[in-house]
Amino acid sequence: MEEKLLTQHFGIENLFKIDVYLKHSGYQAVKKALKEMKPSEIMDEVKAANLRGRGGAGFPAGVKWGFVPQDIDKPKYLCVNADEGEPGTFKDRYIMSHNPHLLLEGIIIASFAVGIHKGFVYIRGEYETIALRFEQAISEANKEGFLGKNILGTGFDLNVFVHRGAGSYICGEETALLESIEGKRGNPRLKPPFPASVGLFGCPTVINNVETLSNVPQIILNGAKWFCQKGLPKDGGTRIFGVSGMVKNPGIYELPMGTNLKDIIFKHAGGMKDGKKLKAVIPGGMSAPILTADEIDIKMDFDSLMDAKSMLGSAAIIVIDEDTSILDVLKVITKFYSHESCGQCTPCRVGNSWINKIVKRIAGGKGKKEDIDNIIRLASNMLGKTLCPLGDAAAMPILSITQKFRKEIESYIGN
Amino acid sequence: MIKIFIDEKAIEVEKSTTILKAAEQAGIDIPHLCYHPAFPPEGTCRMCLVEIEGLPSLELACSTQVKDGMKVSTKSERVIEARKGVLEFLLAEHPPDCPICDKAGECSLQDYYEEYGQFENQFNEFKEKREKKVKIGKNLIRDMERCILCRRCVRFLKEVTKTQELGVFERGIHSEINILDGVLVDNNYSGNLAEICPVGAMTDSDFRFKTRTWFLKKGESICPLCSRGCSIFIEYHEGFSRFTLPKRVYRIRSRENHKVNGFWICDIGRYGYSYIDENRIDKIIVNNKEGGETITWEKMVILLAEKIKRLYYIKKTSRIALILNTWLSNEELFLINKIFRNDLSVENIYFTDPPEGEEDDLLLTSERSPNKRGAREIGLDLKPINLETLADKTDLLLIFGSFMFDQFNLAEIKSALDNIKMKIIFATHSNEMNSLVDIVLPMSLIAEKEGSLTNVDGIVQRFSPVLMAQGECQPEWKVLVNLAKELEINFRYYSQFSSPEAILDEMGKKISFFEKKSE
Amino acid sequence: MSPEFSDRTKKRIDKIVARYPRKEAAILPVLHLTQQEFGHISDEEEKLVAELLGIKPIEVREVVTFYTMLNQRPVGKYHIQICSNLSCSLLGAESLIDYLKEKLGIELGETTEDKKFTLSTVECLGACEQAPCMMINFDYYGHLDKKKIDEILDNLK
Repeated sequence: MEEKLLTQHFGIENLFKIDVYLKHSGYQAVKKALKEMKPSEIMDEVKAANLRGRGGAGFPAGVKWGFVPQDIDKPKYLCVNADEGEPGTFKDRYIMSHNPHLLLEGIIIASFAVGIHKGFVYIRGEYETIALRFEQAISEANKEGFLGKNILGTGFDLNVFVHRGAGSYICGEETALLESIEGKRGNPRLKPPFPASVGLFGCPTVINNVETLSNVPQIILNGAKWFCQKGLPKDGGTRIFGVSGMVKNPGIYELPMGTNLKDIIFKHAGGMKDGKKLKAVIPGGMSAPILTADEIDIKMDFDSLMDAKSMLGSAAIIVIDEDTSILDVLKVITKFYSHESCGQCTPCRVGNSWINKIVKRIAGGKGKKEDIDNIIRLASNMLGKTLCPLGDAAAMPILSITQKFRKEIESYIGN
Repeated sequence: MIKIFIDEKAIEVEKSTTILKAAEQAGIDIPHLCYHPAFPPEGTCRMCLVEIEGLPSLELACSTQVKDGMKVSTKSERVIEARKGVLEFLLAEHPPDCPICDKAGECSLQDYYEEYGQFENQFNEFKEKREKKVKIGKNLIRDMERCILCRRCVRFLKEVTKTQELGVFERGIHSEINILDGVLVDNNYSGNLAEICPVGAMTDSDFRFKTRTWFLKKGESICPLCSRGCSIFIEYHEGFSRFTLPKRVYRIRSRENHKVNGFWICDIGRYGYSYIDENRIDKIIVNNKEGGETITWEKMVILLAEKIKRLYYIKKTSRIALILNTWLSNEELFLINKIFRNDLSVENIYFTDPPEGEEDDLLLTSERSPNKRGAREIGLDLKPINLETLADKTDLLLIFGSFMFDQFNLAEIKSALDNIKMKIIFATHSNEMNSLVDIVLPMSLIAEKEGSLTNVDGIVQRFSPVLMAQGECQPEWKVLVNLAKELEINFRYYSQFSSPEAILDEMGKKISFFEKKSE
Repeated sequence: MSPEFSDRTKKRIDKIVARYPRKEAAILPVLHLTQQEFGHISDEEEKLVAELLGIKPIEVREVVTFYTMLNQRPVGKYHIQICSNLSCSLLGAESLIDYLKEKLGIELGETTEDKKFTLSTVECLGACEQAPCMMINFDYYGHLDKKKIDEILDNLK
């Protein structure tokens, strides 16, 4: 059985309570980091661990922390991206509900390493019960002296607050998330400047995903080398794969980075539901280009999926079976991006809505021959041309589906 | 300075500039809609994408800073295709109502389609239903079908006027720019919205459907309606055969000037142009002459000079009084000062100006005339009139303008003027003042003459005629120069003043304030 | 009468506002509390929030219309939001949406006459392992089928 770094204690009853957590070597990493290590040592360790962002983009966390200017006369902020809006993704919900203190440890260590004294955990609005649980965890940690003033007598101060979203996928994009915390519409910002230099309230800001930060305590306790061994040299640690759709046992599976997709579906998730045939898999959240049944013998890590012209993204695996119409999949996907486009930039605002209208028309039996080429053309006109990654996130699955399943879509279009 | 290459053209630019600005300097136009130089780039319209050598994706020209040696292509196939793609998106739900759109002829979207679009419409879906023709401000009509969501209007109201009457509501394809629950855009700068809207989403009902933009000519001028002296364009119609011209000026627009008004003008200046065409006089009128005897300007000047000379020779120039105003240019005020105060020792010089009005912290000043500062710098004392004592002291009264009406009623003026032997008014408009005087001289307006004005901050700004003077109208400076020559007190001195420019040069020599400003 | 926050909410708002270096940053948490207290956010509540945070009502409207969880109109006692995203639709969300419409006798976005239920679809709830799933107010219900929906709704008083 594979070793689990994040979910190992998930079975323990009431693990979310600090007294239970402390009994299972909780807050040891914080103690080690704050009392025995210098901020620069922590940063070096995390860099060496090749901990890549678990939110979707896969940017190395340590490098990201290193971008924050240290000689600046402004407060610095940590924002935890717990927006988890990428369809198919639910891993962060598990971490925060089962093991909120693990995330808090990661937050404290990261803040200490970068010199941050205030953090906001941006939790999607729908996760109200999780937000409440996390706020409970924060107040427990405050009481136990892991948060607040002079943590563990080290002189380090840190306050952490929950900031709830209110129903917007785009707020998972880091600059939209910042806008949302600042009390505005979730319109992504133009980059540069990048958040590391001009972020929340115009101050240097680190934004990390829940799962990313939750890996930090293990890196501190066991070292970068150990962490790399649990995954791949360039892509350390495990990954929590969320499997959903037409499998027997949907759920989360923490497995080493690089585990074969086929094994995840057929070994870990119990294979196809009702013995149906596999048709396609979306391997990294809805934004990831689709893989056909022939393409699933693939290692689930950032580089392998990129080579296959898809992406690991949030490692959310959506399994599609033979009975599912690919047009229905396309309809759901295009409806989603059209609904979630913030609307500020032209190609995303109009492109997504336009494509969705075409797909709906095809589904309504009024498809035209030129529609597929038109969809491809319009999606290509979004790709790489929008202000934020949402345009690409929409264009990639749309393009991959229309290209890989063109014949099937054509069959829905009469002569 | 660094060197970059745009479309293989080498150009030297400031280090901190953007590709778009650098291209502009080199005379290369990069299409853009959301970008406006008054605001930080937003990068939302995606029209200005360009190709930069060595970078995989297209980058925004509006926000990308130049780097030494950067090679930018604004016309590569990839760039043109991207522009076409963005245009196709913008036009997908845009109504094809150019023939009835007031913006036609000066619409960026129309221009860009002409240049980069020219594709067949492939949008075969239902269009979103949006509000058309909704009044959202005193002179503002909004059309959401035409709106491309560049947010220039929203940003203007947030960053410039800070009044925020407009916001973006909803999101995605349903995004719309709107006022809140019917609360109209209400500020003194609202007219700028129609001007900065790159498409026909915001039109100005003061101008809407009065003419087509392409019939208009425009000339650079200065707004005289307060002492800020904002740079403006006067846009006028020259008329043509099947169109009898009811008026010349159709609108006033702002003209970029970073020393004075930036990009904006206020609504008082924008909409207060009707005086240019309405109720003007264009003939010399000699009252109390049966049969309406006509008199030429030459004779008029001689006649006036005779009157003054008579008083001069009997050393009674103290019986001359002048009522001036600060709509007069620097040059005119300088001449008046020279002729009447210096040469003729006239002491009774008064000023009447429009009453002070509200000011704001953006552009509008409380002074509702353009040249108070100029008058002061010339050394004139802006003394108000005492109507009661005026008649006792005066045999010859020269009145410039009709602003006395703003202070006194007709009866008051009449009784004061009745006892003065000779009254001459230099007038631009027809009004009851003109019947109280002996001679009415038709004058040109700032829009019709040449000269300079000194604004509230001491900036001397020159202006040239935009419109032709009508009928017998003449600029005051010309009449004053001719008069001075006719007086023969200092003929040679005044002979050198063949233009306001020459007068301003002389002012630079005589008055230190105007020294450098006359250049 | 213009709305007023309860004393308890006012105290909570004060505490929330103190977390941010700028008052207006508290708008989302304050709007959540507003909705909790008044059920929805009408123009009256927008004005209240604007005044409280020192911003213009139009800024509140911009935010309220951006985020789907903020209701501008009243909703029923139970707001059923059923996921129509991919994992759920693979597992039959579409037919469950139809079932709910039929069962409640309302269309999407509507509220039953007795003001008990409002039915909406929602994008991915982040509970795909329990697909098809829905959220009623803030409680999640997963692995839905028609029978389970009947049971759940029957238990809501």
